[in-house]
Amino acid sequence: MTSVPLPLTMIVSHDPPGAIRNIATIAHRELRDAVSSRWFILYTLAFAVLGLAVSLVSASVTGSTGISGFGRTSAGLVNIVLLVVPLMALTAGAASIASDRERGMLSYVFAQPVSRLEVLLGKYVGLGASLLACLCLGLGACALILVWKGVATRPASIVWLAGLSFALALGMLSLGMLISTLARKASVAVGTAIFVWLTLVFVSDLALMTGAVALRLRIEELLAFSLINPLQVFKMWSLHAADASLDVLGPAGLYASEEYGQRLHLIFGSLLLTWVVFPLAAAAAVLSRRSPL
Amino acid sequence: MIHIKNVGMRFGRTVAVDDVSLDLESGDSLALWGVNGAGKTTLIRCLLGLLRFQGRIEVAGHDVRRHGKRARLQIGYVPQEIGFYDDLGVAEAVRFFARLKGLNGADAGEALSTVGLTGHERKRIRELSGGMKQRLALAIALLGDPSVLVLDEVTASLDAVGRGEFLALLVRLSGMGRTMLFASHRTEEVASLAKRIAVLEQGRLVRVVPCAEFVAQMAHKAVLHLTIASPVRRQAAETLKTEGFRPQFNGAGLLVPVTPEHKARPFRVLADARIAVDDFELVSLEHAAAHTTPIPSEEAYP
Amino acid sequence: MKPRAVHLLIVALLVLALADHGAAQTRSSEHSVPAFAPVPSDPIRLGVIGKMIAAAAEGDTIEVPAGVYREHLRIDRPVTLVAQGNAVLDGGGSGDIVEISAPRVALRGFTIRNTGIDLDKENAAVRVLAPRATIEDNTLEDVLFGIDLREAPDSVVRGNRIGGKNLDIARRGDGLRLWRSDRTLIEGNTIHDGRDAIIWYSTGVTVRHNRAHECRYGLHLMFSDDVTISHNEFSRNSVGVYLMYSARIELTQNQLTGNRGPSGYGIGLKEADQFAIRENLIAGNRAGVYIDGSPFTDKKPGEFTRNTLAYNDIGVTFLPSARGNELTDNNFIDNINQVSVAGRGALDANRFWKGERGNFWSDYTGYDQNRDGVGDFMHESQTLFDNIMDRQPALRLFLFSPAQHAIEFVGRAIPAVRPEAKFTDEVPLMAPVPIAFTAASGREGARTLLLAGSGGGLLAVGSAILALARGTQRVRGRAIDMRVNSTGGST
Repeated sequence: MTSVPLPLTMIVSHDPPGAIRNIATIAHRELRDAVSSRWFILYTLAFAVLGLAVSLVSASVTGSTGISGFGRTSAGLVNIVLLVVPLMALTAGAASIASDRERGMLSYVFAQPVSRLEVLLGKYVGLGASLLACLCLGLGACALILVWKGVATRPASIVWLAGLSFALALGMLSLGMLISTLARKASVAVGTAIFVWLTLVFVSDLALMTGAVALRLRIEELLAFSLINPLQVFKMWSLHAADASLDVLGPAGLYASEEYGQRLHLIFGSLLLTWVVFPLAAAAAVLSRRSPL
Repeated sequence: MIHIKNVGMRFGRTVAVDDVSLDLESGDSLALWGVNGAGKTTLIRCLLGLLRFQGRIEVAGHDVRRHGKRARLQIGYVPQEIGFYDDLGVAEAVRFFARLKGLNGADAGEALSTVGLTGHERKRIRELSGGMKQRLALAIALLGDPSVLVLDEVTASLDAVGRGEFLALLVRLSGMGRTMLFASHRTEEVASLAKRIAVLEQGRLVRVVPCAEFVAQMAHKAVLHLTIASPVRRQAAETLKTEGFRPQFNGAGLLVPVTPEHKARPFRVLADARIAVDDFELVSLEHAAAHTTPIPSEEAYP
Repeated sequence: MKPRAVHLLIVALLVLALADHGAAQTRSSEHSVPAFAPVPSDPIRLGVIGKMIAAAAEGDTIEVPAGVYREHLRIDRPVTLVAQGNAVLDGGGSGDIVEISAPRVALRGFTIRNTGIDLDKENAAVRVLAPRATIEDNTLEDVLFGIDLREAPDSVVRGNRIGGKNLDIARRGDGLRLWRSDRTLIEGNTIHDGRDAIIWYSTGVTVRHNRAHECRYGLHLMFSDDVTISHNEFSRNSVGVYLMYSARIELTQNQLTGNRGPSGYGIGLKEADQFAIRENLIAGNRAGVYIDGSPFTDKKPGEFTRNTLAYNDIGVTFLPSARGNELTDNNFIDNINQVSVAGRGALDANRFWKGERGNFWSDYTGYDQNRDGVGDFMHESQTLFDNIMDRQPALRLFLFSPAQHAIEFVGRAIPAVRPEAKFTDEVPLMAPVPIAFTAASGREGARTLLLAGSGGGLLAVGSAILALARGTQRVRGRAIDMRVNSTGGST
């Protein structure tokens, strides 16, 4: 009974896999789990259907007049991205770590020869890739609908929009994962994420509008305050990329365009990058300190 | 192979592990023995780097805090219950962990056949029975043939049949120069797998005894289960303690370890204190270990 | 010429100008005409072409062979100059280049480039100081002022390409300027990177089939009556067409697109009178039409018919002073604000429907049960956010955000905060009025292909990620190799 031969070759010491390899392994696992999950299919469908609806509506008006206005189509798409993408990324991020903790998976994975940072980054990359897939499928379908309906638009703007939406998604995913590391339960994390989403989408803008009128904010102050909200950064950036001028946004937009010109790309870019890096770094710090149980 | 030195760990004010030092040489097999909350699982989690602790733990010369990845590479870990993507295929799960352990081209089939899961490769984890899940966890733990095997109450969530099968499997796969550290409160597990037993009580290491000696002690121990109404239960426990017993709370009453020749003494002590005993039962040690809660907190650790 | 003779000439011209000025004032009491003295430039040295002109008789045609001529011309007799091949007149970066001081001069097919940059002296490529000139098919490059007609009535400016200097807008000159040049025809010219194309005190001018882009004002009328403007394309200027203090203007079938900037308008109207604006395509401007104090009198309502206003930030913006405009059969398509009033003014004095004809509104929410092409309910413009933006322009910053829609939803749902309708159209059209012409653009095909390519590319990226996710990492059934890239092994 004691002499059943082990089919495994005894290897006692070798180097553990490098960080990149572990991140790739976990990312692949996470991506695979994400794209077959219900939320992914639901969000992709919702995003595609809303985008197609906007494209079709603008095509139905444009088609009969023979003039094109991607300005309006992209404005509609921007609106949908603003509504759907943060919700998608925040909840996906919020569910990730917290639900793993809840089902005991986090401690099981942490007991393997991986570091916590690798797990976090792997999950981030995997979820990010799944969000990218969702965005590409949705916007790609919209582009084809526009072609089919004969709406001639600037092809660059849809690619820009996809890229910027992805940047926004990464920022929101980062924030979602921070929420996830802080929350004890997945339900609490997702609830918090939805609250944050509501704040970013509606509450902060409405508050700022009220504040701007009540406190008679100067336009540069209004601009600065609005740029705290990553959604506004995304919105202005996509308008800037499509139109090269923010004068459509009134005095504050005009001020931004005239004061900063092409440097706006840099400004918007670094603001969104901040939203990607800082919450993720904070999440890593929290995860490394907290017990995974 | 494993060096645990002055390890302490507390959850808030509760001391979970209190200054424990243990050394396991290569090929050693040590059981952590104690009731729920004695600190067995906590100590194992410290070893895996899952919890922050005081003191120092080394596995195969690697400090688990500073070189956690290297230390954990030496460890095959089987938890009480595997927590993983439920929708994942069995073979796929094995491949995933093989990659994490740096194994190239791991063949899941081979690893699974070792634990008798051949034919279940394409099943999803959620479709497995409890025993099969534990065997999968064991297959994963054995990937890359680690020098240390850490088992945390691996049979706790199994029924009697599953427990027997799994124990048989463990016995078959033990030895081979592998160092084993496991937490258990079942005598048959301890008897068949351990060379030494470390007894933990309320986070403290009480003593380390050879297996044979431990089994002999066990044979002579009995546990009295006394049903006592809740208003006087704590008073009863205090009274028994002053008389040198070590009572523990359990459901509607107390569990009192007794030596065979003094089984009736607790009744007299309680009668003197005018505390009524509603019912009593002599139970096995395993049963007692599985159903007690420690005196100080009345609540188990998370 | 001797300096004394020059001075004499200047004085003579000044007297003439003042006399004419007085005449103008008696003729047009509504406008006051400032003094303006066309001054001929300093004497020039005769070059090759100069000598040819000097040798020519009245009515001769001078054919100028191909080549680069670094000379400043003064054409002082009625001759026709025609470039044979690529004849280039290079001003060498100073002064004017061609000055026409005799009537009935024609200048054809030259490339004229490199004027001076002196704004005070108004360095121009072609300056005409006499009637009935014909400036045709010339290419003007790198010029401060392009073609400057001063008191040159009955002239023809046709088929020229005028490219301004790459200067700050404040330092540019006008690509085309008419000063008291009645009945002039301006046709088929292209102007870019200039300041304005401007018409001063000129009656009966026709402007058609021209294009102006990247200028300040594509076309600017000052005190010029009876002007017909049709089939022009004014795009990406600050203002497409600005009609100021002018009357009896017809603006028909022009394309005004992408005119933006702090005061960017497709069409601007300031105290213009008796105008008819028909069948224009006005799209993608900051404001499609800007109306300030027009119509100036009540002789005739301001007429806007069959125009298409699409994708502008604001379709039509009224200053509170604007009254007496009638807008019918226009298409208002997806302008962010369809109609706005600056400040808190009302639109009562302007009409958005007449008899059975209203306008097409892309935001009309009613329906047409009896299928007569007219909506069964009137169209009321009353979105709360529009209202807020009219009062607090800075809050336009929140356009396109979900908060905007939230506000509009609240405005619709809660009667208490519902703003009063800015205007009503009782007979809104159900379908857009057909546009009289299609927007010219040769790159539609290529764009469509590129868009299809981008869409396909995005789909491909998405599918690739899905494929990556679904694909297994290892080929099944490969031989086991639990050995790791390691050497040290101990048991």
